[in-house]
Amino acid sequence: MSSSEFLSQFLFTLISFALLLMLVGAVKRMLLWSQGQSSTIHWLGLLQIPRRYLVDLHHVVARDKYMSNTHVATAGGFVLSSILIVLLYVFQLKLQILTWALLGSSLLMFVGSIFVMIRRRNPPPNLSLGQWQRLPKSLMVFSLSFFILTLPATGILPSDTGGWLLALLLVAGIIWGIGEMFCGMTWGGPMKHAFAGALHLGLHRRQERFGGGQSTGLKAIDLSSKKLGVEKPIDFKWNQLLSFDACVECGRCENNCPAFAAGQPLNPKKLIQDMVIGMAGGDDAKFAGSPYPGIKVGTHKGGAIIPIVNVLVESDTLWSCTTCRACVDACPMMIEHVDAIVDMRRFETMEKGQTPGKGSEILENLSATDNPNGFAPSTRMNWAADQNLTVFGHNEKKQEVTQADVLLWVGDAAFDMRNQRTLRAMIKLLRAAKVNFAVLGDAECDSGDLARRLGDEATFQRLANSNISTMNKYKFNTIVTADPHAFHCIKNEYGEFGGNYNVMHHTGFFAELVSQQKIKLDNSKELALTYHDPCYLGRYNGEYDAPRFLLESMGVKIKEMDRSKSTARCCGGGGGAPVTDIPGKQRIPDMRMADVIETKAEIVAVACPGCSAMLEGVVEPRPEVKDIAELMLDALIEGVVEDTAEVVVEDMVGGAV
Amino acid sequence: MSNNNLSVISLVSIGEHPTSRRPRRAEQDARAIELGIKLVGDNLQTLHAGELSDDDSQQTALRSYLGMGLAEINLLEMPENSDAVLVIAEHLKQKKPDIILTGVRAENGESSGMLPYLLAEQLGMAMVTSIAEILSVDEVNKQAEVLQALPRGQRRKLKVDLPFIASVDMAAALPRQSAFGPARRGQFEEILGTSFTDQESSEWQTADAKKRPKRLKIIKAKTAADRFKAATAKASGGGGKVVHGVEESAQAILDLLVEEGLV
Amino acid sequence: MSELFRRDPRAQWIARNRLHPMHQALVIGPVFGPSGLLRKNLHIIGFIGPNGLKRIDRSGASNDSEQGSRRSATASEVILPLHQVVEPAFYIVVVLDLVSGRLNGHDKDTLGLAQQLANRNNGGGAVVAIAFGELKDDSLNKAGVDRLIHINDEQYAHYNPEQRCNDLQGIIGELEPQHILLPDSINGGGDLGRRLAAALQQRPACGVWKLNDDTVICRGSAGKRDITRPLSKLLLVMEECSEPISETRHENILMSQASSPLANGKLFDQGNISVDPNAIPLAEAGFILSGGNGINDWEQFHHTASVLGATEGASRVAVDDGNMPRERQVGATGTWVTAQVYIAVGISGAIQHMQGIGQCDKVVAINTDEGCDMVKRADISAIGDSTEILARLVELVEQRKQAKQTNNEGDDK
Repeated sequence: MSSSEFLSQFLFTLISFALLLMLVGAVKRMLLWSQGQSSTIHWLGLLQIPRRYLVDLHHVVARDKYMSNTHVATAGGFVLSSILIVLLYVFQLKLQILTWALLGSSLLMFVGSIFVMIRRRNPPPNLSLGQWQRLPKSLMVFSLSFFILTLPATGILPSDTGGWLLALLLVAGIIWGIGEMFCGMTWGGPMKHAFAGALHLGLHRRQERFGGGQSTGLKAIDLSSKKLGVEKPIDFKWNQLLSFDACVECGRCENNCPAFAAGQPLNPKKLIQDMVIGMAGGDDAKFAGSPYPGIKVGTHKGGAIIPIVNVLVESDTLWSCTTCRACVDACPMMIEHVDAIVDMRRFETMEKGQTPGKGSEILENLSATDNPNGFAPSTRMNWAADQNLTVFGHNEKKQEVTQADVLLWVGDAAFDMRNQRTLRAMIKLLRAAKVNFAVLGDAECDSGDLARRLGDEATFQRLANSNISTMNKYKFNTIVTADPHAFHCIKNEYGEFGGNYNVMHHTGFFAELVSQQKIKLDNSKELALTYHDPCYLGRYNGEYDAPRFLLESMGVKIKEMDRSKSTARCCGGGGGAPVTDIPGKQRIPDMRMADVIETKAEIVAVACPGCSAMLEGVVEPRPEVKDIAELMLDALIEGVVEDTAEVVVEDMVGGAV
Repeated sequence: MSNNNLSVISLVSIGEHPTSRRPRRAEQDARAIELGIKLVGDNLQTLHAGELSDDDSQQTALRSYLGMGLAEINLLEMPENSDAVLVIAEHLKQKKPDIILTGVRAENGESSGMLPYLLAEQLGMAMVTSIAEILSVDEVNKQAEVLQALPRGQRRKLKVDLPFIASVDMAAALPRQSAFGPARRGQFEEILGTSFTDQESSEWQTADAKKRPKRLKIIKAKTAADRFKAATAKASGGGGKVVHGVEESAQAILDLLVEEGLV
Repeated sequence: MSELFRRDPRAQWIARNRLHPMHQALVIGPVFGPSGLLRKNLHIIGFIGPNGLKRIDRSGASNDSEQGSRRSATASEVILPLHQVVEPAFYIVVVLDLVSGRLNGHDKDTLGLAQQLANRNNGGGAVVAIAFGELKDDSLNKAGVDRLIHINDEQYAHYNPEQRCNDLQGIIGELEPQHILLPDSINGGGDLGRRLAAALQQRPACGVWKLNDDTVICRGSAGKRDITRPLSKLLLVMEECSEPISETRHENILMSQASSPLANGKLFDQGNISVDPNAIPLAEAGFILSGGNGINDWEQFHHTASVLGATEGASRVAVDDGNMPRERQVGATGTWVTAQVYIAVGISGAIQHMQGIGQCDKVVAINTDEGCDMVKRADISAIGDSTEILARLVELVEQRKQAKQTNNEGDDK
């Protein structure tokens, strides 16, 4: 028997066995996921895996051109090679064209693996080391082995080249390569991401995210269930457990996490890896990436039925998150970090009653007064005493109305003297554009954003239901608000409770008015200005253009920060982070203000009351913080819409919805 | 915990938020529970005089005590407007607790703060008001050491004979957060209480508290000139005094501290 | 009032009228004649010299008379009219708080209300003040005390509400007062009053803040409601329930009353425990030294706080920068404070901070910027380098302490 005959025979056995082993591993892995709670299975999604992989995932990967090309070469080469290997060696389809194809694909994969190797030579800190350092070698061995193996078959080299020595070397290489690339896919190892990732893309909990869609609202939970929130890994939905396995430890989340940058004990990548440890059991000693700042690796362990908090993950880690979604947005595997964090927070708050910092006080205030700071609900409209606002209601003596074009959602800025300025500016602008609007007055409650992100789903649902029943009493076309958090809540999270509205952020609404010439802005001012994207407007709702359009209409050339639009850094005000106040090395707003100062801007335009509060909290001297509404009011040319006033109102009535 | 044999009952009422007037867990009662849990853990018994209201917000308020980790609250059923003291006293006479914890005063109703005193009188127990902490309980000598809260953060140590009633001050440790899950799952154990009507208070008139007028600085002028001066003189205390210079500044501050009796 | 110039028209008329019999006695000093010349009445000036001759000292050095038409207002205090109750028709008992042996505002207001009760419906009642323990105040007669029962022995230096309640029961049994008033305070009155109410089986009116004929208005629902109810025998009254007595003097006659020893006390005072100022929760602290962004030397700040005996506070920036722990943060986003004196060092006064100190009595600002909001709010603003001012303040306070110590030692000798 010649060495080539031996190889061919041996490969059949080896690959068949490897595939069998892979199958066993896959079943084992699936059993791990099935420990989770039931959740809708989107079977159709499985058909979409290739498309989602090639379009949606690649779209994210392509933000790093080097890596995307490398991945195309390596992964493409690998997938193609694998198929060909199976055809050639398992089904024994000895077609010459397949052999040539395998030669090409393995070469492609080899080229890709060289680039992986180069990148791994001096890896940036966000990359995990350990087994991930082995991966380029495995890729090379796999591709090279099959490349060499295929050479004789194509006739480039005579068969039996190299004799038994080369055959042995090839056997060794192929065992290594297949072991890593096939068995490692389901038994754990760097290639696990390919198997779990593919399934995750198909069975993702938020199917709407693919094909350019968005799904950012938190999912409601049944308040009458036996356990509220996630205590142990098995309390996650099964597809959440699956998603954790999809992580490639690329560390893009870590690069974008404001809490990590501020030295707070959170690293989204480590968190997801900890969830994997929790699901499969073990400790975190083998984790080879950046630790949670201030917490040593190797000190925590977990298991599927062991509580997570303070055993596997410190509670401070959960509470450091600002829910800014930068990690989710940056994740090429579309893992939902924020969902997992909020799920665990829900258990902490609703079952253990351990919301840190001022959390418990804030939540108590929200249930007693419908606003986080415990102001008397009857004073909600005090700020507007001089504004003569139209209020929704049934009391005709007070000139209350039941119908208006626009419902102006005031939000908790009503109690904050700083953000009352923004509200006043908005009202002047709305009046200048002759918009027919009304407010809910004292009947408005907090949107519930803060409560929900602090894990208090019960309070959120109460507030949401209360707001929905209030709003359903009246007729209006559009809700306009200056608060992106309320905007997001009403737009994306009230739907589950029967509240479906046409909601606009004030920037979007004003942008429409400006483009329709209903508001005229003076564009002669030269301002050294930069714009800070609010997370809940940008990443959560994809609105990057309207605020920029407005600023440009004022003649401003925006000095963009390095981190802007989808990679904008959070101000630190989201997700209840200012409430829980987990200590770090520096403050997130200070870092963001440093970004602003870098652009040499004198004004930073914001579009969120939270951002203005956080950024204004930075010690002076610093650039001025102004809401876009305030800037617009400064630039407003009054009186130009006089003649078109009637038209405006009619347009509004017929226009929206 | 070494106080396993101790029988501690905390009395809870439905509070009222000062600005929204919504029912809530009463702040002092919640502190009493916190103190009780720290003292005897799960052995703490909790008693509320009143029926389980159909009103959602009332029930939520009562449940928020359960959310602190109590397994159950005993409800002493009594009609509205009846005298809670007599009902509770009647009940507690049979229970013979070692320590009864209450708030200093209720957040609604008359809120006279008499309840613990009346109970102490009826049950023949000692009464300590405004405690911030129970330092130790000596079950052998039937004595406990407690810290009483005094104004401005001062504390007085008291020894008190068991059994006793203590009203818990706002200076006591903050109550733990009330969690929704346990609050929803906790149980109410209903006991039929005797009914004693409170005739007297039903005749009172109540109204929302009026803002009390700020006391005017009355000038007891004996002469026309004094009265004239008092009427025309610029009101003092409008603007502050501004001092420059290190020496003068330090001296001015010291003078103020001396005047206020702080140094 | 003693320095007032008072015109006495009658005296002036006499002075003009040389024929008036009292003219001589009144007109002293320069008199100008019709022609404008200075006239001197030689009969009434001068003195008898050693040889029996009258001498006039024209140098004016020994001019003895300096009166003129100016009636010398006596420097003595105005004597207020004495309110006497010879045969009391009934008694109103007031139990005084006497914080450190002195009447405080709350005591005086309570006495004021007691006098109102004693004098309503034709009056005739006497206010009996009951003082436990040491009594340092000598102004009881001016505060409206007609009768005084002073019970003092060693045990009243301590907290012994059971004994006091027992004594009161005895007194009330004897005097059968129409009303019993106590300040509804945290300084003992509230506690004692409720004990007494329970012992006497009297339903007290608590939180009384106004008396209207036969009804009183009480604060109920923890300050949220006003309850109008009939006047009861036992009243626990709030501060400013009545104007204090200021127009009359009272007899302040001591009535003897022995304390009746109590057999079965269940409370034993172990004395106040010393509280580290920094262990006092900020919201309760009476004296706060608060540091902000303008502080360079935090060591010195802590030292100053310990020398002054002040509780430490901080602005948000100081906390964010890690110079102070989070629970020390003052302001709307931190703790709302109610200090009697609040010293803000290097805090310019963000709006949230100003909100948080809204209820402080006296605010002192130490700052380099005279235009900042804190200076506008402060009662005293020291403009200058905080390090130097604090250093000097510490020196002054230490000097003062030393001086006091040496004084005390001197007294002891």
